[in-house]
Amino acid sequence: MKRTGILIRVGILVLMAAVAFLGHRFGGEAHVRRRIGQPPLAKASCFYCHFVSTDRLLWAKPRPHHDSPAGLVVSHDGKRLYIALDDRDEVAEADIATRKVLRRAKVPGGPYGLAMDASGKTLFVTCRQADRLALLDTEMLNETGSLPVGMGPAAVAFCRTAAGDRLIVANSMSDDISVISLAPLKELARPAAGREPFAVAATSDGARAFVANRLVGLSSIKTMPASEVTVIDPVTARVVRRDALESAHLSEGVGLDESHSWALTPLVKVRNMVPITQVASGWVMSSGLAISDLKRGDVVQIPLDEANDYFADPSAVAVDAAGHRAFVASGGADVVTVVDLDRLAAWVQKASAAERQEAIYDLSLSAEYVVGRIPTRRNPRQLVLSPDGATLLVAEHLEDSILVVDANKLVPLGRIVLGDGGTDDPIRRGERMFTTAAYTFQHQFSCRSCHPDGHVDGLSYDFDGDGIGDNLLDNRSLQGVAGTGPFKWNGKNATLEIQCGPRFAKVLMRTDPFPPKQLRDLTTFIKSLPPPRVARNKDGKLTPSQERGRAIFFATKTPDGKEIPLSRRCVTCHAPPLYSVRLPFNIGTKGPHDSTEAFDTPHLLGVADTAPYLHDGRAQSLEELWTIYNTNDLHGVSSYMNKIQLNDLVEFLKTL
Amino acid sequence: MKEKRYVKATALSLLVLAAPAIRLQAASTAAVGIPFPLIERFENFTMKDGIPSHKVHCVLPAADGKLWLGTYKGLLVREDGKFRKIGTEDGLTHPMIMCLAEDPRSGDLWIGTMRGLNRYSAGRITTYTQTSSGLPNNVVYGLDVIGESLWVATAAGLGVLDLKTGAWTIYDQSNTVMHEPWVYSVKGAKDRVFVGVWGAGILEYEFSSGVFKEHRDPDRDFHFDLVPDDGPVNDITSWIAWDQGILWQATYFGMSRYDGSRWRTWQEKKSPLLSNFLNFIWARGRVAWVGTDRGVSVTDGDTWVNYRTSEKGEGLVEITRPGQPAETKTMSTHLANDFVLGLWADDREAWFATSDGLSHATFIPTKESITHASNK
Repeated sequence: MKRTGILIRVGILVLMAAVAFLGHRFGGEAHVRRRIGQPPLAKASCFYCHFVSTDRLLWAKPRPHHDSPAGLVVSHDGKRLYIALDDRDEVAEADIATRKVLRRAKVPGGPYGLAMDASGKTLFVTCRQADRLALLDTEMLNETGSLPVGMGPAAVAFCRTAAGDRLIVANSMSDDISVISLAPLKELARPAAGREPFAVAATSDGARAFVANRLVGLSSIKTMPASEVTVIDPVTARVVRRDALESAHLSEGVGLDESHSWALTPLVKVRNMVPITQVASGWVMSSGLAISDLKRGDVVQIPLDEANDYFADPSAVAVDAAGHRAFVASGGADVVTVVDLDRLAAWVQKASAAERQEAIYDLSLSAEYVVGRIPTRRNPRQLVLSPDGATLLVAEHLEDSILVVDANKLVPLGRIVLGDGGTDDPIRRGERMFTTAAYTFQHQFSCRSCHPDGHVDGLSYDFDGDGIGDNLLDNRSLQGVAGTGPFKWNGKNATLEIQCGPRFAKVLMRTDPFPPKQLRDLTTFIKSLPPPRVARNKDGKLTPSQERGRAIFFATKTPDGKEIPLSRRCVTCHAPPLYSVRLPFNIGTKGPHDSTEAFDTPHLLGVADTAPYLHDGRAQSLEELWTIYNTNDLHGVSSYMNKIQLNDLVEFLKTL
Repeated sequence: MKEKRYVKATALSLLVLAAPAIRLQAASTAAVGIPFPLIERFENFTMKDGIPSHKVHCVLPAADGKLWLGTYKGLLVREDGKFRKIGTEDGLTHPMIMCLAEDPRSGDLWIGTMRGLNRYSAGRITTYTQTSSGLPNNVVYGLDVIGESLWVATAAGLGVLDLKTGAWTIYDQSNTVMHEPWVYSVKGAKDRVFVGVWGAGILEYEFSSGVFKEHRDPDRDFHFDLVPDDGPVNDITSWIAWDQGILWQATYFGMSRYDGSRWRTWQEKKSPLLSNFLNFIWARGRVAWVGTDRGVSVTDGDTWVNYRTSEKGEGLVEITRPGQPAETKTMSTHLANDFVLGLWADDREAWFATSDGLSHATFIPTKESITHASNK
C-alpha cells in the first residue's frame, strides 16, 4: 500500500516534469509568442510571467537591523557624542571619555544627519525615510518637535545669522535644500540644489552654507559630467553660487577651513568616457578633494590617492578649528586620510594655474600634504572632531562602532561599541563586500563607487570591448533588482552571481574574483535592496493625472479605438508586479557601435529616480523616451499621444 | 578773505538745503493732478553699449539688483553698469528670449524663448523643452511664478509646473473653454489666474473651484469695438497685467480694464491711447503702463500721459487730464525707439524694451519721493 502511494507520487512528478519539458520544448515558445505578440529573442522561463510576486523577493521580507552609525555630532563641551542610527530608528548618546553608550532615543523615519543648536539643548535630526526634521531635547533625549522637509533629508547644519537662527537641510531625493528658521520653526524656502544634495556646512558667521551634491547633473552622454557645491545665503534662503566640480561626483561630505577660506569636498574623480577596460591604467576612478574658495568659488581638485594605491570612496571630511588639518574618511579603503592644510595651502600658493588645473591627475602630489593614514574598521563613512580639535570620532558604519582617535598624535584611543557588527547576517556581510575596494586593482573603487546606496550614479560608462570610448552603457540601479534577471543590458548574465562573478572581475576589477562565499553574500545584499522610494500621495491614491496615465500604460486600444498591437503595448514587456517580463526586445534604439539591437527590459520600480534612460543613457528624461527616441513606435505606440496624455503617462510612471 | 569764504559757504549750504524745495516746486508744477509718476528723462542703451541686437523683447530688474534683458540674440544681465551676454553657448535652448520671470522666493530666473523654457539658478541653466519635459510647446510667450508653481503661456496651451514635485499640468482646448491654443500671457491675481489667449480673449481660473471662466469680446469683431465697455475690447490678447484688483488687457485693437465686475475699453480714436496696437501692458497699483508701436501710454483710466518721439526726433510728453485739453511738452530725451515691446516700472524708475535698444526712465521727483529720499 505504502509502495503504491510512493509510485503514484513519483508518477505524478514524472508526468508534471514531462508536461513542463514538452510544453516548454514544443508549446513554450508559441505560448510566449502569443503572449508578447512576437517571437521571443531569448529563451523564457515560465516564471518570467507566472507566479511572479514581489512578496517573495528578499527586499520585501523582514531583515535584521544593525547599529550602523550614520551622522555624528559632539556636544559643545566635548563630552557627549550623539550618533544617528538610521537602521534602528534611534539616536544614541555616548560618553566620549568612557566610550560608553549612555542612552538611546527612538526617532522614527531613519535618523541620518545631525546638528546641534548654539545652546546645546536641541539636537536636529534629519529622518531620511520620513522626509522630516526631528527636534530632540538633549537633556531628556526625547523628541520635542518635527517639521516636514524635502524628500530624503540626508544632512543638516545649524547656523546663527543676523536674521535669526537657521537650519539648512540637504534633501537628497528631491534635489533641493530646505532653509528653516527656528523662531518660529518653519521652512522659509526650498531652493534647487544639484543632484542628490548630501552634506552641508555653514560658515561660523552664518553668512554662507555649502551643500555638497552626490551626483552629476544630467547632461548629454557625450559631454563631461560635473557635480556641484551649492552655496546658499542662509538669511535670504537663496542660492548665491554653484561651484562646479568637473568630471567628479559622489561628494558626500563638506567641511570648511575658514582660516584658508576654503570649502573642502571629498570627491571621486570619474572618467566614464574612458573605456572601462583601462582600469589597470588607473584612468577610471581616483579619489580627491575639491578646494573651493569660500568667497570666489574657484575650485582646485587635488588627489588623495598615491600613485599605485588608491583610497576609494572618500565620503566625509572634518576640519580642525585652527584649520591646520583635514581628516577624510575613505569608506572603501577603511582609512582616514590626514591632510596638512598649511602644506596644502603652500602648494596651492606656489602652483601655477596650469599646475592647479592638472593637480588631480598627479597622484604623487598627495605626498606634499597627506601626512597620515589612520586605519579603521569597516566602512568609515562619517567623522567629527571634538570642539577643541583634540579628539576625532569616526563612524565605522559596517562595524557598528565609533573609532576614537587622538587627533594630535593620530593614534586610536579605543572604540565606542554600538552593536556586534552583524557578521552573522549575510546581508550585512554582503554590504561589506559591496563597499570595499579591497577586490579591485590597486583598490581603485568599490561596487559603491558606481552604485551609491546600490542605486545609480547617473552616468553612462564605456563598458564594451571596442576600446574606443564611444560605446556607452547606462549604469543601472541595483535597487529592486532582485528577481529581474537576466542581467546586463544584453541580458547575457542569467544570475547576479554570474553578473558579479569571474568575468566581471577580469573585465572591470582587474583582480581575482570574489571568493564564492563572499560572492554569495554580495548578491544576497544586492537582492535585499528595495526599489527606490517614490513620492506618492499621502493617502496612497493616484491623482487624476496618474490615473489617466495608468489607463494609457495598460491600454489595448488608442483613444480613437484602434487596436494597439500586442507587441507594442507598455504592459506586454513591462508587466507588473516587476514591470518587466525579463526578455530582450528590439525597441529601435540600436546605436552605431552597438553589437545587438535587442536590449534587456529593465524593471520600472522607482524608474523616475534612475535617469538617464535607455541602454546608453541617451534619454535624459522619461519624456524623451517617446518624444525623441520612439519615432517608429517600436517602444510602445506613442505617436497618438498628445502632450497631456504623455504627461499623464509620465506622472503614472513616477508612482511605480 | 575769510568773510568771503564764510558767505560763500553759507550760500552754498542754503542752496543745498533749498534744493529739494526747488525740485519740489518744479515737480509740483509738472505733476499737478497726475496720480502717477512723470518721466523726467530717458537714458538709452543700444548695440553700441553692448546689447547684441536691435530688438530688446523684455526687461526685468531682479530683487538682487541685477537687470535682466531678453533680446533677439540672447539673455543679457547688467551688473556694475556692464552688460554680460548669456546665450545658447552657455546652455540656453534658443537665443531669442521672449519673456522673463523671477521666482520671488528662490531668486531663480525663468526664461521663455522661441524654443523652450530655461531656469537660471545662480549661474546654472536647466532646460525644459516640449520633448524633454512636460512643457506643452517650445514657443514660450509668457511666464508667472504663482505660489509654488510656474505658469507658462505657450503656443499650444498653458503649462503649469509644480516647482516642488516637477509635475506638469497642461490646459488647452481639450480640457478648458480655451478656444485657441495660442496663450500669450499669464498673470497670477491672489486667488485666481488670468490667462491671455491670442484670438480667444481672457480666461479666468479660480483656485477654489478649479474652473476656467472665459471673457470674450461680446461683439466678436476684430476691427471695431461696437459697444464700448461691454467686455474685452478684442479677442486678440497680446498681453495682460494685474495689480490691486485691476486686470488690464492689451490687444492689437485697443485696451481693456476689468475690476472684477465692470469692463472699460479704450481705442486710439476715442481716447488719448497712443495706438491700438499694444504689445505689452504693465500694472503698477491702479495704473497701467502700455507699450505700443508708437510709444508709451500711462493711465489710470482717467488721466493719460503719453511718451513718444516727434518726427524731428524730439521727445514729447502729452498730458491729458480729465475734462481738460491735452498739453504737449518737449523733453530733452526720448525713448530709444517708440516700438515698445516690454517694460517694467515701479515708483522710482521705469525700463523700456524697444525694437532698437533699452531705455531707462527716471521720474520727476514728487513730494512723496523727496520726503522718502530725505528720510533715507
